[in-house]
Parts: sequence; structure tokens; C-alpha cells
Amino acid sequence: MDLLKSISVATSGLRSQSGRMRVIAENMANADSGPERAGADPYRRKIPTFQRRFDRELEAQVVDMGRVQRDNSAFKTKFEPGNPTADASGNVKMPNVNSLIETMDMREAQRSYEANLNLISSTRRMIQRTIDILRA
Amino acid sequence: MANTALGTGGNLMLALKTRMQWHQTRQKVLAENVANADSPGFRPMDIKQPPIGAAGQASVGLVQTSAGHMDLAGRLGTFDSARAQRFETTPNGNAVNLEDEMTKVAQNQSDYQLAASLYSKGLGLMKIAIGKGR
Repeated sequence: MDLLKSISVATSGLRSQSGRMRVIAENMANADSGPERAGADPYRRKIPTFQRRFDRELEAQVVDMGRVQRDNSAFKTKFEPGNPTADASGNVKMPNVNSLIETMDMREAQRSYEANLNLISSTRRMIQRTIDILRA
Repeated sequence: MANTALGTGGNLMLALKTRMQWHQTRQKVLAENVANADSPGFRPMDIKQPPIGAAGQASVGLVQTSAGHMDLAGRLGTFDSARAQRFETTPNGNAVNLEDEMTKVAQNQSDYQLAASLYSKGLGLMKIAIGKGR
């Protein structure tokens, strides 16, 4: 039945958007995780990726979380001579996480998640109407 | 005469059935579009309206060229997909417009409910005809 397949396709969207949210939460939580010792690297920002896959059972393109990539952009530096992990000139490397970018990504994930939820509730109402034909 | 009336009723139910199958297929295609709203390079799809037959009956079927051929009356309808109209494409090649898709989902749902209501009304008419409509 196509309506149940619609729900499964939308569920794949929900699953990958919540996975994306998990990666964003990880970035946000580690926004201030500096290096463990002097000379080491701090937390490196992670980027969630999506890939589409043709599901033969559902006969539809579903979406999956792909490999979580690393953001290779430069780290931020902070001048803090008293910090034990600071280098010779007193700079501390800080994670390349920009909380504004993370917030925007989070909003986008939230909107897409809501869109998939709306689709599921709309499909459920259609199924309910089909069952109502029996009662008529 | 009675035969014709019954035929009309049957045609009506068949047309509504095709319509409901069309809406179900469309819902699946729209679900694909929404699920892939953030996939790079994804182009949204939609399905074509079912062609209206000569008898006003909306169904796609094979023509039976011989009486010995199998009747395909109980087959499931298949519908052609088409590229949906594109409004904007993001830099990563994704062309899904979420607002547009949600509008289509809402429209699809209410059209489906209309067809389902008409179908149950049709069933009610038949029940009246066999004397159990009260």
C-alpha cells in the first residue's frame, strides 16, 4: 500500500534529520573544548552528510546519513598566556566551531524534521479516511 | 436500462478508485521529495494526471485485442512520473522547495478525502438500492 510506503519514506527523513541534529549538538557542546595538552589539536568541527538511496522494497528514494566528515578549516586562536595548553607566544588553539552557523543548521534540521512529521500526520489522516469507508 | 445504470455506478466507483490510487502514489512521491529536502543534487518529482478515457472513465489500461486474453480489470494503476516545476535551486544542486511540497501534500490530502467521501456516498447509494440504506 502506497500510503504506508509514504510513511516509511518520511521516517527515513526523520531518522537522518535527527542524526544531523546529533552531530550539531556534538559541535555545540564542544564549542569550547580546547586542546588536551600543549601542541595538541582542539575539537575539530564535524559535518553531517546526506545521501540518497533507492530502496527496492519501498520503490522510492529514501535518504540516509552518510559519513560524518571533518571540517578542515583553520582553528581559532585565543590569546591566553596563563593557560597550560598555550604555545610559546601565549596563544591557545580553539575549535573551529561557529555557534551562529550551528544555530542556522539546527533551525534547518528542525524545519525539515517538522515537514516530515507533517507529511506523516497527513498520510495518517488519509489512511483514517480510507478506513472510514468501511463504516459508511 | 438497469444494466446501464449499474454500469454507470461501476464506472463511477472505478474512476474514484483510480483517483484514490493516484493520490496514494502522489503522496509517496511527495514524501520522497520532503525526505530528500536536504540531499545534494536531488530534483523534486511529481506525477502526471491520469488520462481521461473516452467513456469519461479515468483509467489506464491495455486494450484487449482478443476475447481469449486475460482481463486486467483488477490491476493496480501505475502512473507516469514527471519532473516537478522548479522554483529555485540551492548551490548544492537541491531543487526542493519545502513550502511548495507542503502545499501539495495538503492539497493531495483534501482531494483524497473528497474522493473517499464520494466513494462512501456511492456505497451508500448502492445500499439504498438493495434496501438497506436506512
